[in-house]
Amino acid sequence: MTARRIAPAERTVRFTFDGRAFEGVEGESLAVALLAADRVVLSRSFRFHRPRGLMCSTGGCGWCECEVDGVPSVRSCRVPVREGLVARGEHAWPSVEHDLLSGVGWFSRWIPPTFYHHRFLRPRSLRKRYLDVLRRFGGRGRLTIAGRAGAPPGRRTQRLDSDVLVVGGGPAGVAAATRAAEAGSTIILIEADRSVEPLAGVQVLADVAAVGWYDGMVAALGDDAAYEITAGTVIAATGSYDRVPLVPGADRPGVVAARLVTDLIARHGVLPGRRVLLVGEGPDVAAVAERLEEAGSGVVHGPIPTAALVAVHGRRRVTGAVIVAGGRQQRIAVDLVVFGDRSPNLDFVLAAGAAIERRGDTLVPVLDAVGRTTVPSLSVVGSATGRSGASTSAGSGPAPADAHDDAMVCFCEDVRAHEVRAELAAGYTNPELVKRRTGALTGPCQGKSCLQAFACVAGTESVPTARPPLRPVRLGDLVPPP
Amino acid sequence: MSRVGLGSLLTDKLPPQAGIVIVGAGIAGLAFARELVARGVHDIVVVDRGYPGGGATGRNVARIRAMQLTEELTHVALACQAKYDRMGEELGFNVLFYRLGYAWVLYETDEVERMRAIVEMHHRIGVASRLLSPDDTLRHMPILRGGDPVAGAVLNDDAIVHHDAVVWAHLEHLATHAPSTVRIVPDTTVTAIARGDAGVEAVETSRGRIETRAVLNGAGGWSSTLNAMASVSAPNRPLRREVLVTAPLRRSIEAAITFYRPNEGWFNQTLRGEIVMGVVDPEERPGVNQRSSWEFLRRTAALMTRKAPALADVAVIRQWAGMYDVSPDHQPLVGPTAQLDGWWQANGWSGRGMLLGPYLTELLAERFTTGRTPPRLAAFDPDRFAPDEAPEEASGDYYARYRRQEPPPSVVEPLSGR
Repeated sequence: MTARRIAPAERTVRFTFDGRAFEGVEGESLAVALLAADRVVLSRSFRFHRPRGLMCSTGGCGWCECEVDGVPSVRSCRVPVREGLVARGEHAWPSVEHDLLSGVGWFSRWIPPTFYHHRFLRPRSLRKRYLDVLRRFGGRGRLTIAGRAGAPPGRRTQRLDSDVLVVGGGPAGVAAATRAAEAGSTIILIEADRSVEPLAGVQVLADVAAVGWYDGMVAALGDDAAYEITAGTVIAATGSYDRVPLVPGADRPGVVAARLVTDLIARHGVLPGRRVLLVGEGPDVAAVAERLEEAGSGVVHGPIPTAALVAVHGRRRVTGAVIVAGGRQQRIAVDLVVFGDRSPNLDFVLAAGAAIERRGDTLVPVLDAVGRTTVPSLSVVGSATGRSGASTSAGSGPAPADAHDDAMVCFCEDVRAHEVRAELAAGYTNPELVKRRTGALTGPCQGKSCLQAFACVAGTESVPTARPPLRPVRLGDLVPPP
Repeated sequence: MSRVGLGSLLTDKLPPQAGIVIVGAGIAGLAFARELVARGVHDIVVVDRGYPGGGATGRNVARIRAMQLTEELTHVALACQAKYDRMGEELGFNVLFYRLGYAWVLYETDEVERMRAIVEMHHRIGVASRLLSPDDTLRHMPILRGGDPVAGAVLNDDAIVHHDAVVWAHLEHLATHAPSTVRIVPDTTVTAIARGDAGVEAVETSRGRIETRAVLNGAGGWSSTLNAMASVSAPNRPLRREVLVTAPLRRSIEAAITFYRPNEGWFNQTLRGEIVMGVVDPEERPGVNQRSSWEFLRRTAALMTRKAPALADVAVIRQWAGMYDVSPDHQPLVGPTAQLDGWWQANGWSGRGMLLGPYLTELLAERFTTGRTPPRLAAFDPDRFAPDEAPEEASGDYYARYRRQEPPPSVVEPLSGR
């Protein structure tokens, strides 16, 4: 991954990351500004300190988390860069770029997720000491305690009720809201990230993010209010998550979602690589190919089917990939691997306890002819259904049994396929037990980027119980007014 | 990666009969099975409606606290803590017993006076708790700086364990040491209890019938449902408790902290760095309920950021709920009942199952195999309640109840389990 700006940078602001000064462009996120400066390692993974960078386009993955102005573990892809901002990498020594602690990765074969349960019992006199040391390796963000006084001011509670609540202001959500408005219903639409044009007959709440589904009540947070929304019908138009290929090395900085690359080139004038491999099918990949050509990127390989990607190489950034071409494996030198696969966003479906089913290698909601889930008050539209053609993957990934032992299943906790398989082989066959034994799905992303891979490798159709909140929420943002 | 593996310990085939059927593969059931095996009992079948450790055992925060409000319970809790301290060696599995420290943080001066007497009691029986001044409280627990002014704290060198590890330790121990004498049948719901003139005859389940002359009710929040199936009267009531956990942070909180004013609340940091916390809803109504609530998030945010303002910055990543099984005196029911031959209770833990479970089921196994009641077990006789006794305030404020009943009665230990 070798990123550079291809459009002139206007309205620049200055900020620092790990003590070094950078320039960004007003209106872009901290993560994009760092990428444009070719600063690609933004965080280190929890267990093995693997380098991670900007990967997804949804705010769902957490690979770009760093400390921002003293607040720990903030997703830098959701922070607008601004003058004087101070950011720091976390969980690394001396820095996320050069992290000596990543040496622990060399021994990862011998450090299964439960390794400490079989060690550190003798001698007895050192037992506490062992755990003190272990505790040093835990943790991530830094909590700033000095200079605090009193609770934050709090957000007022706003109770809303409508016939229809649409969650998500993308094309599918807007279409669903418009249809419902034409039928004369009262409608609320909430959207967390993008801007939504005013819609006739629809109460649009922008910058309002859903926190959870609580027995049919949808809780959401805006800048100054907490919403408790009840509706006869909740329509989840929550789109899809980017689905990282299930191959070894796919968590390196330089493996990025197609939608993100399109956005980087078209909106931010940032070209994230010179030698590119396109992986997957569908409109996302086609759009990237077009943009790369316009931008005059050097070499473009592919697109190849996802199943033809064998491995990604590189240390701090991608340097190559192994693909199957003409029936033979070959290694190609690339600095950017762009993947187009997505999987439906099941957040609301799982939170409501609605049924899911497997289609190919993908779990999708069980829906009736009009898009209702098995929870009658919850419907799903758009790519969240997992049925809208080639934009979400269905059967294009490697067959579950074929995933390489070293393929990373859960990125937050660095859980590889062989570790999931070891638990199954040891008799911990219930997905809930596999989750607890390996830590898979328990990290900050709460399974957003790994649920599908987990289900594939564990060979299960039932997944561990989803828990609120849907996204990490600052405790201070939940405070009610005094 | 398991070194041992569970072999055929977990099975979906329900045997047609068993020497004893244990209902509930939580801390009570698993620990009891282990103690029976150690005493040579064969033919043990454990059934669970879900997976091992799927109830309160997998949902608590595993604080192993020796200091208690009454002398009797402090004695028992000391033995319980010692049992956890040995558990790693005994089961060959490190359950991460770690002396994090535990503090009751006080916000009113009359609380300080009350605690002074309790600390004296602790010292009498060998618990080295300390009463801290307000300054020392903030020095030891800087996380409270900037929050509501503290009046002091009682601190003791108490411990936490990894609750799931306790489950796995027992499973792997049973798989290794009792491969042919214990079977655990998960995803099995008990539907009826057959009783005859001579006592228990069989357990009917979703997987069929199993003949047995002995049943242990270790069903936690479902124990009253199970007792009702056997027409055994016991006054336990299930009561929801909620927890939230944050993204992992570097070591920033010393001691597991609990306070009782204005509501009961608590938080601590795990070895991985996550902060677990909760604020109790005094209005919570009894009933089986494992759903998470939005009100809990807001209630907890409100109180925690008042007590420890720095917590405003932490990111909540997950919340869940589990059940206390509350008895009228907040003490567990452990032992046989005179109401039905072959019916054994190990429930009503009232939020202290993790702490008390392994030790009290050891005493129970002693009772089961020898017929003699160990002296320490007598206080937990399941038949100690009047027939129609119910928790007077199952959802109430235990600490308030304790204050009302001063001087502390000898049996009642009203603090909840954390």
